[in-house]
Amino acid sequence: MKYVTTVDEKEFEIEIVDEHHIRVGDRLLPVNIESVSGQPVFSLILDGKSYESYVYQNEDEWEVLLRGRQYQVKVEDEREKRLKAAAGEGVAEGGEFHLKAPMPGLVVTIPVAEGQEVKKGQVLIILESMKMQNELKSPRDGVVDRVRVKAGESVEQKQTLLSIQ
Amino acid sequence: MFKKVLIANRGEIAVRIIRACRELGLETVAVFSEADRSALHVRYADEAYLLGPAPSRESYLRADKILDIAKASGADAIHPGYGFLAEREDFASKCADLGIDFIGPKPSSIAAMGDKGKARATVIKAGVPVVPGTEAVGNMTDDDLLRVAPQVGFPLLIKATAGGGGKGMREVRSLEEMPALLQSARREAEAAFGDGNVYLEKLVEGARHIEFQIIADSHGNVIHLGERECSIQRRHQKLLEEAPSPFLDDELREKMGSVAVKAAQAVDYVNAGTIEFLVDKDRNFYFLEMNTRLQVEHPVTEMVTGVDIVAEQIRIARGRQLSYSQEQVQFNGHAIECRVNAEDPFNNFIPSTGRITHSLLPTGPGVRVDTGVYPGFEITPYYDPMIAKLIVWGETRAQAILRMRRALEEYRIVGVRTNIPFHQTLMDSHRFMGGQFDTRFVEERFSMDAAASESRQAQAEIAAILATLAAHKQAERSAQIVRRNERDTSNWKWVGRWERMHR
Repeated sequence: MKYVTTVDEKEFEIEIVDEHHIRVGDRLLPVNIESVSGQPVFSLILDGKSYESYVYQNEDEWEVLLRGRQYQVKVEDEREKRLKAAAGEGVAEGGEFHLKAPMPGLVVTIPVAEGQEVKKGQVLIILESMKMQNELKSPRDGVVDRVRVKAGESVEQKQTLLSIQ
Repeated sequence: MFKKVLIANRGEIAVRIIRACRELGLETVAVFSEADRSALHVRYADEAYLLGPAPSRESYLRADKILDIAKASGADAIHPGYGFLAEREDFASKCADLGIDFIGPKPSSIAAMGDKGKARATVIKAGVPVVPGTEAVGNMTDDDLLRVAPQVGFPLLIKATAGGGGKGMREVRSLEEMPALLQSARREAEAAFGDGNVYLEKLVEGARHIEFQIIADSHGNVIHLGERECSIQRRHQKLLEEAPSPFLDDELREKMGSVAVKAAQAVDYVNAGTIEFLVDKDRNFYFLEMNTRLQVEHPVTEMVTGVDIVAEQIRIARGRQLSYSQEQVQFNGHAIECRVNAEDPFNNFIPSTGRITHSLLPTGPGVRVDTGVYPGFEITPYYDPMIAKLIVWGETRAQAILRMRRALEEYRIVGVRTNIPFHQTLMDSHRFMGGQFDTRFVEERFSMDAAASESRQAQAEIAAILATLAAHKQAERSAQIVRRNERDTSNWKWVGRWERMHR
C-alpha cells in the first residue's frame, strides 16, 4: 500500500511494505507502532528511535501532536490521489456562512437581528464558557439570515447559531 | 480551636486544602455541584454534601446553603480557597456571626482591599506608590469616566471595582473606542462578580507583574515570603509563574517586600494575602491590588521557601503565632508553575470540554502536580478551564526550565485539548530563557509556530509517518468489517451484533 502524505506543504511518499517495514522515499525502515491502551496516543519505534505522539482524525485530515508541535497532515492513498487529479478538483465556495459554537456554552446576548447587514469583524454573538465571555465575530460582510438561538440558551459545541447570507 | 473544616470550593484547590487538613489531623467537609459528584475533592473529603445544579450561581456561590451545611455537619471553620466566595466580605462576616472561623482575613480587610478604589486610597495613605488612575472617586457613570479618561491618559485600563483574575478588564487606546469597551467590561464584571462598577487606571507599558506573598498572624506579626513573577499572561490571565523573579535583585526584593508588609499592615491584615505590583523598565514599582486570599500560584513560593502556606493559614486561623520570623525565611533554588488549561493553543485558546479518557502525570525529582481531575472525569463548560498546575523546582532557573521541559513532555492528557504545547513552546523561547519578557510578551512577541522551524522540519517526516500508519491501521480496521469469511465469530452472531449496533 502506497500513500502520499502532505505536511507543511511538503509531500512524503510512504509505502507500507509489511507489518514491520515501511519505505519512505527510497529508504526501507523497520517500524513498530502501538496505540497506548486504545487511546489516540501512539508509541512509534522507527529504526530504533522511540517517539510518542497524539494522532487525531479531524474530518479529512489528521492532526499529529509531537514534542509540543502540532502538524496538520493529509494522508492520501496514491491511487485515490491519481484519480482525483484526473477528475480535477473543483471546490465551490459556499455562499452561506454558518456560525457554529466553537465550544459548549451559554448565549449571553445576540447584538444583531435577522435581516441586519453586518461587517466583517462585527460581533454576532457573545458566548459564555468557562467563566469567560467570548465574542464570536463575522468572518465577512453580509446579511444575517437566520438566528437559531436565543439569549440565555445553552448550546452544544458545533451547534449552528446563526447564518450569514 | 476548630476541628472540622468545610472547603467552600472545588477542583485542585479544594484537594490542596483537604491535603493540608488531613496532615494536620482535621476533619474535612466537601461541598459539590451536580456536575462534580465524582470529583476528587468529594472523594477525598471525610464528608460531602450536594449544593445544587452545575452553574456556580446555583452551587458554589450559594453562601446561604454552604453555611447551612456547615451548621448541619458541625464544621467549625470554612476555607474558601480562591474565586467563588473567597473575597466576599459579607460571607466572611456571616461566618463570624455564626461562630464559624473563616480561614482568611477579617471582613474589614476584605472590604478595604476588595473595593479597588478604596484599596488604592488606603495604601496611598500608608505611603505605598500606586499607578495613576481614578482612585477614590467612588462609582462613576460612563459619562464621568469618559470625561476623566483624557486626564488619566491613553492607553489606559478599564478595571472592575470588585474585580480580579482579569475579568471585566479592557485596554483602551483612544477615547473613540472607549464607550463600547466600557459596556463590555461592565457586562463581564456584572456576570462575574454581580457588580458592574469599573474604574480607570493608566496602562504602564513594558511592565512586569510581580507579587509578594504575605502572611500575618493575629498577634501583629507580618512577614513576606518573597515574590512571584507572573508576567506570562494572556488576556490578563496568568499562565506561568515563577519564584524568584529573574528581574529582582536582593536590594529591590527587600524594598518591595517591606512595602508589601506596610500595605498589609495598613488594612490590619491577618492570614495569607498577596500584594500585586507592576514594575516598569526602570524598576519603579507600583501597588496594583491586594488579593485577600490564597493564590493559585502559591506552590512556587512553597517550593522555594519550604513553607506550607495552607497549613500556615490554618495555624493562623486557630490563633497561633507564625511559625517563622522574617529572618528565618530562606529562599532556596528556583520554582516554576505552568497552569494546564483545557484550551486549544493551536486554535486561539478556545476552551475544550469533554471526558478525560487517559492521563499520565509527570513525576520524578523536583516535580509536583496539583490537580482535581483523573481519567473518566468530565470537563464541563461551567467552571474555570484550569485542570492542573504543574510545578517544578530546580537549583537554578536554568535547571528548573530543563526540568519543566522534561515534565511537560511526560504529561499526557487525552480527551480534552490542553495548553501543554504552549508551555513547551514557551520553554524553548530564547526570550523566556533569558528572562526578557513583560506582561505583553505572550500576546505581542510570541507565536506557537515561530519556535525553531528547523527542528519542526526535522520532525515533520515523523509526523507524516505517524499519521500514515494511523490512517493505514484505520483503513485496515474498516476493511475487516466488510471482508467476508474472515471473522472470528460465526456470521449469525455477527449479523446479530451488526443489527443491534444499527438499531
